Amino acid sequence: MTDSAVLHAEEQGSLEAVIKGEVLRMYQDVAEHPEGEFHFHHGRRAAELFGYERDWLDRAPSGAVASFAGVGNPHLRSRLQPGETVLDLGSGAGLDSIIAAWQVGPTGRVIGVDLNPTMCRKAEAHAAASGMRMACHEGRMEDIPLPDATVDVVISNGVINLSFRKRTVIRELFRVLKPGGRLSITDIVSAKQLSQSIVNDPKLWAS
Amino acid sequence: MFVLLEDAGFKRVRSTVVPGFAFRKESTRDAAEAYGVKAVLFTAQKPAK
Repeated sequence: MTDSAVLHAEEQGSLEAVIKGEVLRMYQDVAEHPEGEFHFHHGRRAAELFGYERDWLDRAPSGAVASFAGVGNPHLRSRLQPGETVLDLGSGAGLDSIIAAWQVGPTGRVIGVDLNPTMCRKAEAHAAASGMRMACHEGRMEDIPLPDATVDVVISNGVINLSFRKRTVIRELFRVLKPGGRLSITDIVSAKQLSQSIVNDPKLWAS
Repeated sequence: MFVLLEDAGFKRVRSTVVPGFAFRKESTRDAAEAYGVKAVLFTAQKPAK
């Protein structure tokens, strides 16, 4: 590796660490202060906008609904069946995990993965309050803490765009899915290459 | 994302724009429009064998 390549890798690693910190801060803020104002719509209003069933939002713990920070509705195409194992990548406060748990039922299993251990505990508590079980693992989406071929369905909502290494994330999803497994994910994409000033701005990245 | 899913080996990759998605703040919304930023629902399947 050349000196400039080493420097570039070091700079990218440093920026990635800053962005990770900003992402953690932003989404913890949404969870702890859902009444706050953010770049994105969140809470019940956003969930209704994306077609979440009102019954789901009425039944789920209010804290899980208020902290919802997704960008769409992965349940529209997930076709979850009783008994399936679901990975909710970036499970946040747990609303999508709870909805998935209702669909896969007591013979199924929902596993959350989130960068933030506090959010993991919050999601598990919200699931328990709704009478469902989920296990949430603290972990990075670039290195999902699950064995190969153990998941029937991956759902995710507005999370992968936060990664610096999207190709690695997608490979990880492929790895953990069973043969024939499927994914239903909503995320933010850009039709044009973002300017370097945007890419290098942790606050915009976390938005 | 579509290409990344296909490159990883996923089949039956489909994408649908999420209607109604928008950033809340006008300044962010304007920048997002300029860059063609959209929310998209992706579905895909890992081959059975």
